[in-house]
Amino acid sequence: MPGVKDIAYYAVHPTQLRSIIQWKVWHNPVHERDESKESASLKRCFHFLAQTSRSFVAVILELHPDILVSVAIFYLVLRGLDTIEDDMTIPLAKKEPILRDFHNIIEQDGWTFTENGPNEKDRQLCVEFNVVIEEYKKLKPAHQAIIKDITKRMGNGMADYVKNAEFGINDNGVNTVKDYEKYCHYVAGLVGEGCTRLFVEEGKANPALLKRTELHESMGQFLQQVNIIRDIKEDFDDKRRFWPKEIWSKHVDNFEDLFKPENKAKALACSSEMILTALRRADDCLFYLAGIKEQSVFNFCAIPQSMAIATLDACFQNYDIFKRNVKITKGDACQLMLESTQNLQLVCDVFKRYTRKIHKKNNPHDPNFLQISIACGKTEQFIESIFPSQKPPVDEKKNPVNAEEAARLKKEAEETKWETIYMVSAVIGTILFISGIMLVVAWFAGARFDIALSQAKEQLGQLFGSGGSINASAPLDTKPSTDHSEL
Amino acid sequence: MAPTTVLVTGGTGFLGSEIVQALVEAKNFAVTALDINPPSLGTVSYPSVTYVRCDIMDLERLREVFKETRPTVVTILEGPAFVEPMLIWLAYKLHTVAVNLLGESRYSTQGRDTLFSINVDGTKNVVQVSQECGVKAFVYTSSVTVLLDQLEENFRNADETWSTGRATTLYGQSKTMAEGIVLSSNTPGFRTCALRVAPIFGPRDPVTIPTIYGCIANGETPFILGSGTNLQDYVYVANVADAHVLALHNLLDLGTAAGEAFFITNGEPITVRDLCLAVWKEFGHYPRFQLRIPEELAWWMGWGLEWASWLTNRKGTFSRGVVLDATKTRYVNITKARRVLGYVPRVSLPEALKISCQHLQQQINAQAKA
Repeated sequence: MPGVKDIAYYAVHPTQLRSIIQWKVWHNPVHERDESKESASLKRCFHFLAQTSRSFVAVILELHPDILVSVAIFYLVLRGLDTIEDDMTIPLAKKEPILRDFHNIIEQDGWTFTENGPNEKDRQLCVEFNVVIEEYKKLKPAHQAIIKDITKRMGNGMADYVKNAEFGINDNGVNTVKDYEKYCHYVAGLVGEGCTRLFVEEGKANPALLKRTELHESMGQFLQQVNIIRDIKEDFDDKRRFWPKEIWSKHVDNFEDLFKPENKAKALACSSEMILTALRRADDCLFYLAGIKEQSVFNFCAIPQSMAIATLDACFQNYDIFKRNVKITKGDACQLMLESTQNLQLVCDVFKRYTRKIHKKNNPHDPNFLQISIACGKTEQFIESIFPSQKPPVDEKKNPVNAEEAARLKKEAEETKWETIYMVSAVIGTILFISGIMLVVAWFAGARFDIALSQAKEQLGQLFGSGGSINASAPLDTKPSTDHSEL
Repeated sequence: MAPTTVLVTGGTGFLGSEIVQALVEAKNFAVTALDINPPSLGTVSYPSVTYVRCDIMDLERLREVFKETRPTVVTILEGPAFVEPMLIWLAYKLHTVAVNLLGESRYSTQGRDTLFSINVDGTKNVVQVSQECGVKAFVYTSSVTVLLDQLEENFRNADETWSTGRATTLYGQSKTMAEGIVLSSNTPGFRTCALRVAPIFGPRDPVTIPTIYGCIANGETPFILGSGTNLQDYVYVANVADAHVLALHNLLDLGTAAGEAFFITNGEPITVRDLCLAVWKEFGHYPRFQLRIPEELAWWMGWGLEWASWLTNRKGTFSRGVVLDATKTRYVNITKARRVLGYVPRVSLPEALKISCQHLQQQINAQAKA
């Protein structure tokens, strides 16, 4: 049930309320999953999917049947991996081999993992991991190979990261921007690659996307970086630091200082630099979306991206991110979903709108003021390059292709001119004809035009004459009126 | 290999001296800088460069110089006549409310003869003498105004396929004509190309950065004309010089640029307002408040003031031209220059602004001491 606060909010934001209603009432999934044909283990998998992912479950469930199960299993495998990596109660000696070997584990029938700490929220998924393995084995071999490859690389990347953390190599969390992007590559860039390979395998995306690797990398990086920016407070409370030292050390000496009220301006400047790093990926994301061929896959990719750019705007120049979790409102989210489930042009409009919002909030006191302005300009120019809002001017009159063309244009112009003349004279003729008939009818009916005329004269005289009486002005009028009669 | 002889007309000016420097640094070029003025005080002059004083309007003298130096390549900028209107143009785009009288000529139709004689006849002279003397390659410094000076229009991401010839300013018209002369004289033996550069800024630039800086003292910084979302292009002087060297290499070697025009900008379109804010920031100034003047209102203000100045017979300082320059979207696509010439804007906008502003600050400090 909506709270009083929500009701008050939507009472003053009716357009947002409208978006919510529109989305709930009118949105039809592109494809609907057919539960009747599903096995018990698959049903259990979808149950876990709904539990572990709040943001992705809706878009995954609407995917084309060719890839629906593969993507869902892919997600659960990675979620299992992530749950083991995240759990600080598991010792490194135990954790590392599992992470490095996870791509083989997913092929071992009946494997489960019960050693997660009791507070781990996705613990149950690992406890019943055998259902995921069961469904994984039913997938097409090509899909299995893709999932296995990505799992292997991600597992090793995570193991390296965990090991470094343990030995204090990165005791300040992530050090350089390069490390930061490397981390995002392992947890999100690889997911982008895996999904792209699945889409291309099933003919749902342009194979060229596999060659332009920076595009799917940016898709993952953009989402992950936005999450890291938004979750700064939550991660800090959990004693995790993903903001690279290379960036925050420019603004404060210790990471904790970002949260001190006296450093508000510095913290905002630091968050702007993080947002700038993410924003530079925006044009790649739009370029990637241009390569998607199927509507449900497009929705799957576009919705999170639109949410991400809106979240970026919500976080930009907003000190609240250091105090609590900043979210976009439900109304905005529904509006974004409406706009992200149709075509690329609308998604581009979303990006342009939010880029301009970010640009508007850009503050000259910010050390990255100019860079942010340039990044916004670049995104806008990119959108213009795929959807030109203006055509090059065509000057037919100026440079006709040849003499015949020129003659034709001239003739056309002449015809249009005469058409206009005929039209105007026909209208005037009709008016004159009808007024004429009316006057004749009136005359036959006994209208006294002489009286009407003299009265009109009198009134005109009153209007212009100083004396006002017709007699006074009459002598003056005599002469010109005789002239007229002679004419 | 014997060095290629390059003659740069307008070679001691703001852009010319930068091109000369780029050529010297690129090595293997024997450079002659031709200008109506000698190198100005405080600029670097190179011992390896021959400086020749010559007016390009003087055909006989020009012929003499060409016979003496026997250049293989000519790159032409019409001296001060090139740089000044460009900078005034830029000054206009930046300068929102108060405007110096000098700039008014950009929108008027007076001074047509001088402008056309230097821009068009001067170019004709140099092309003619170059052909006579067997010059192989010819790089012409054109301007984005050939397309963008159709003041009432917006130009979003325009490229070289957009046809020119509709410029409404005299400067744009004269540049269009000159560019036409150069490109139409392209033959396999006499390869020509035109670089349409965006408004230039840099250290030693006499107008751009100083004008924006001047707004601080005049208290004009809070005013914004129009929406403030319209993007426009600029370019750093050293990047333009790079483009010239690249064009020259291309014409001498592959020749894929022959007969072609290229847009040359920094590839970083931003709003005029942000450029100004960034410059003011370099000098530690931040506007205390912002006042937005809507485009329509500003247009009518300009219109009214134009009539007022006509009635009082005094030159106005604000006109519709100014409003259009400040409120329209005007940016281009430099993909063609990147692809054909291999052009990459080496100095990014933030770095370029920093260098330029520091230079101005030094000048101001030096003046204060003196």
